[in-house]
Amino acid sequence: MLLQQLLNGVVVGSVYAIFALGFTLLFGVNNILNMAHGSVFMWGAFAGLAAVTYFGPSFPLAVVVGMLAGGLLSVLLDIVAFRPLRRRKGADMSALLSSLGANLVLLSLAQNLSNTKVMRYPFGIFPIVNFQVFGLRIQLLQLVIPLICIVMVAALVFLLYRTGLGRRIRSVAFSESTSRLLGINSEWVNAQVFFMSGALAGLAGVLIGIAFNSVHYHMGEPFLLKAFVVIILGGLGSIPGALVAGVVIGTIETLTISYVSSAAADGITFAVLFLIILIRPTGLFGKASTVMRVQRQ
Amino acid sequence: MISFLSSYQSLADQILIYSVLAMSQCLVMRAGLFSLAPTAFAGIGAYTMAVLTTAHGVNPVLAIVCGVMLATLVAAAMALATSRLRGVFQAVATLALVQVMVTVGLGWESVTRGALGINGIPKVATTGWLLLVVALATWLLWTIGRYSIGRAFDLIREDETVAVSLGISVMRYHRFAMILSGLLGGLAGALYAANSHAIQPSEFGFSMIVAGLTMAVLGGHKSVWGALLGAAILISLPELFRVFAEYRSVFQGVLLMLVIIFLPNGIVDSLLELAHERKVRRALPSGDGGNIDTKARAT
Repeated sequence: MLLQQLLNGVVVGSVYAIFALGFTLLFGVNNILNMAHGSVFMWGAFAGLAAVTYFGPSFPLAVVVGMLAGGLLSVLLDIVAFRPLRRRKGADMSALLSSLGANLVLLSLAQNLSNTKVMRYPFGIFPIVNFQVFGLRIQLLQLVIPLICIVMVAALVFLLYRTGLGRRIRSVAFSESTSRLLGINSEWVNAQVFFMSGALAGLAGVLIGIAFNSVHYHMGEPFLLKAFVVIILGGLGSIPGALVAGVVIGTIETLTISYVSSAAADGITFAVLFLIILIRPTGLFGKASTVMRVQRQ
Repeated sequence: MISFLSSYQSLADQILIYSVLAMSQCLVMRAGLFSLAPTAFAGIGAYTMAVLTTAHGVNPVLAIVCGVMLATLVAAAMALATSRLRGVFQAVATLALVQVMVTVGLGWESVTRGALGINGIPKVATTGWLLLVVALATWLLWTIGRYSIGRAFDLIREDETVAVSLGISVMRYHRFAMILSGLLGGLAGALYAANSHAIQPSEFGFSMIVAGLTMAVLGGHKSVWGALLGAAILISLPELFRVFAEYRSVFQGVLLMLVIIFLPNGIVDSLLELAHERKVRRALPSGDGGNIDTKARAT
């Protein structure tokens, strides 16, 4: 029973981690807290569902369409809501406000489109194969989700630290004006970062839609709030931090839901966020440079 | 005339209550503190008022006072924590507070009755009283804004480093702003409960945060009148144009984005700046008007 719950926790935590990766990437590069990330996630799930309904049930199709839709929507958000505000004084605040507005628009459009109904991915989109290991019942999907998560983290780390694009992204993150002086097209780099962030959100949306067998317009908000906890616990802008913290939060939450109550789970999650901010605002993997961005001396 | 007034009375009540919430939001934004907590304070104020009157039979006015006091106390505790943090992190910490409050409201069923909410709250906040309270709150903020506190707030928001170099303690002013914002937020919440018969935890979540922020940004946060105008516009526009009613939140979201991008100072502050600019132009000898720094701040 305990092992089974731990497994469930790791699966949920992996999705939290995938979701939070995109969130933390945007914060690390652009210093933006994108409040519309949850809506991008939800629209990714919607797009995957639409593709599957039109072209027949296929897991890879849903994933690819979900990621593409999430990425494109995120680039659109960048152009409409964030680009006009960049390089303005106090840009992080106004970006947060403008993304709140964008979130509201995306949310109510989805509500009107879906008539506030809960939709489902067609049965059999993912083969149901059960394994019995030491009395544990493991579904194939429960193995695939953590695997996808690990692949995504590895791919992102490789991209950021071993490729030319990664070098450009890191230089824009360090200082946008300096990188422009060095001949880097920072708007194009930003658009690529937004695409990656949105694609990760779309992927998480499709995975959650299939794993929990429900897609509805309000599915993004709880994930966005969890993502706050995950990236603060992991350290802002830290990719390994997002992975570790995502799994930790997912496990704690699943255990609390099964042994105490779901209301207690939310309470504990946000109490953790609170304590982290008060005691160690840089999180588990925060570097000295993040301290300056977080705290006054 | 009378029937016209009475049919729009609930609208007027809403505008008055929300303008107190918007003032709470404007005050922290004026001090350069990025807090989303007014919604949490409103929740505390509303629930304290509702629980005291319905379950314990306390006098409604006393219950409102208790709600305001409790919200102010929580704000004081929050102020100690957030004054150490910078910008976006203040937003995250206060967002966590809002979520904790919603969770408490949903989970502590023996007191808050969970998701069902509390019904049968005595309606004591009538339009006349609301007008009086809003007038008092406006006067309070106006007075604060005119003296050194207001100038310190403006300076901290514009440039923290300059403020520190002039010997202004950023932490102290941020704490003060947070506590005062708690007082106003709690007041807004308690009045909300005393005006609407029933409250639910979900009302004090994301939608209220966005509403408060939109009003503050729309009106402008430097001047006292911004909160009043922001609340008036945001509440009355969807009511006046029924077409918007169905797409109310799309409208609100688009409005928030447009104002942030094209009118970052809000309506009132932009108008005041314009008036100030013209006054400066006129005072100068003709022909020399183009050379001065017309961006000098109004008020």
